[in-house]
Amino acid sequence: MHEHHIASAFDRDLEAIQARIMKMGGLVEAAIMEAARSLETRDLELAERVRAADKAIDALEDMINEEAARVIALRAPTAVDLRLILSVTRISGNLERIGDYAKNMAKRTGVLSQMPTVDDSAGALRRMAREVEQMLKDALDAYIQRDVELAGDVIERDREVDQMYNALFREFLTFMMEDPRNISPCMHLHFIAKNIERMGDHVTAIAEQVIYLVSGARPDEARPKADTTSVKI
Amino acid sequence: MNDMTRLENALDVTEAKISARGVQVFYGDTQAIRDVDVEIADKTVTALIGPSGCGKSTFLRCLNRMNDTIESCRVEGTILLDGEDIYDRRVDPVQLRAKVGMVFQKPNPFPKSIYDNVAYGPRIHGLARTRAELDEIVERALRRAALWTEAKDRLSEPGTGLSGGQQQRLCIARAVATEPEVLLMDEPCSALDPIATAQVEELIDELRQNYSVVIVTHSMQQAARVSQKTAFFHLGNLVEFGETGHIFTNPEDPRTEAYITGRIG
Repeated sequence: MHEHHIASAFDRDLEAIQARIMKMGGLVEAAIMEAARSLETRDLELAERVRAADKAIDALEDMINEEAARVIALRAPTAVDLRLILSVTRISGNLERIGDYAKNMAKRTGVLSQMPTVDDSAGALRRMAREVEQMLKDALDAYIQRDVELAGDVIERDREVDQMYNALFREFLTFMMEDPRNISPCMHLHFIAKNIERMGDHVTAIAEQVIYLVSGARPDEARPKADTTSVKI
Repeated sequence: MNDMTRLENALDVTEAKISARGVQVFYGDTQAIRDVDVEIADKTVTALIGPSGCGKSTFLRCLNRMNDTIESCRVEGTILLDGEDIYDRRVDPVQLRAKVGMVFQKPNPFPKSIYDNVAYGPRIHGLARTRAELDEIVERALRRAALWTEAKDRLSEPGTGLSGGQQQRLCIARAVATEPEVLLMDEPCSALDPIATAQVEELIDELRQNYSVVIVTHSMQQAARVSQKTAFFHLGNLVEFGETGHIFTNPEDPRTEAYITGRIG
């Protein structure tokens, strides 16, 4: 495969747009980790910084979409170029949603800091966030290296995140049954756990875009779905 | 999406209008086309794309034996039109070209009136017995080429007096006047402005109701817009042939990919 377009400006456009995705990805990774840390250490200042930083993530998404529209209008991309443009718009959408979940986590840190801690749940959430952040990092590496295998690995790992969520769901339920005073914090903690689980789904969607970009094929629908709480009584 | 799949399937079962098997073309000692196998479906627009010198025009010209006019040109293999070999000795190339019409890159109306340009083919092929019948054929052809409303009040004026886009549509009217079954177009829009191009493309889409259209184009966007099937030629080989939507989103061959994304010239 020839690497470069005859029109080198086309290459520059595509590189610029991918650089923005990587920038956005870096900000989102940081947001996940900092939100989790602020929750664990009850660091309200850090939580506030995470909330403020979400604006930059949103702005990058707008920029990426604008540039993608411009490339479509001016260059009429086809084949792998077309798939690249479609994938950047979807990936930026996924990253933006992950950023929102991190922001929401940071918001709840403020409320939770007024309440008693519930066991080591903040630590468990941080571990879960850490796993998702690693998956995101790998998904973005797979994207930039066009590595289908690594992308497949990321999709597989979402199962672990789902299982972590299932475990936390049961734990929170137990705490709430034990003592009604746990209900308020556990509700917030549960929303945080659910947010992290959703982040994992968006990371999975990014990994699927990598497979589409490289092969033109959609991965099988049989992706692991291990979040079983929705059918639990 | 489902519609596209259905269209694709429908195209697969459509009977082949033209089947080319093992076609090789030589200009003297130089081989221009190597071993091309392709089935061109009826009532379908097939686009031939590829870089200059890849053999796409040469292949197009094989389909109505236009290459016969070139002394050094030799065609091997078989090309069947409705199952009959067009290179059979008994086939009269003039009759063949009435069935397989052609439109060229530059509009080339005869230095005659608009009416006579269109009436020329039907006259020499004896398609009309009376003047009224001929009038009818001319009107129908001009209507089909979307030129009637513009030309009906000036039929006796010279065809060369029309604008470029109108002249090209006049040539299309001339080509369809003999009721061909296949229409070959060799870069029909390369000398036209965007408006005239859009009109000709619209026309191609309408012609598809009745004819099998094979179009050579250098504009990838045009191939994507007008055709249902696309064939990519490179260095005399037919590299890839398939449903147009598929070729432009997910081509199988790296050479196709490189060409349509603008990575090789």
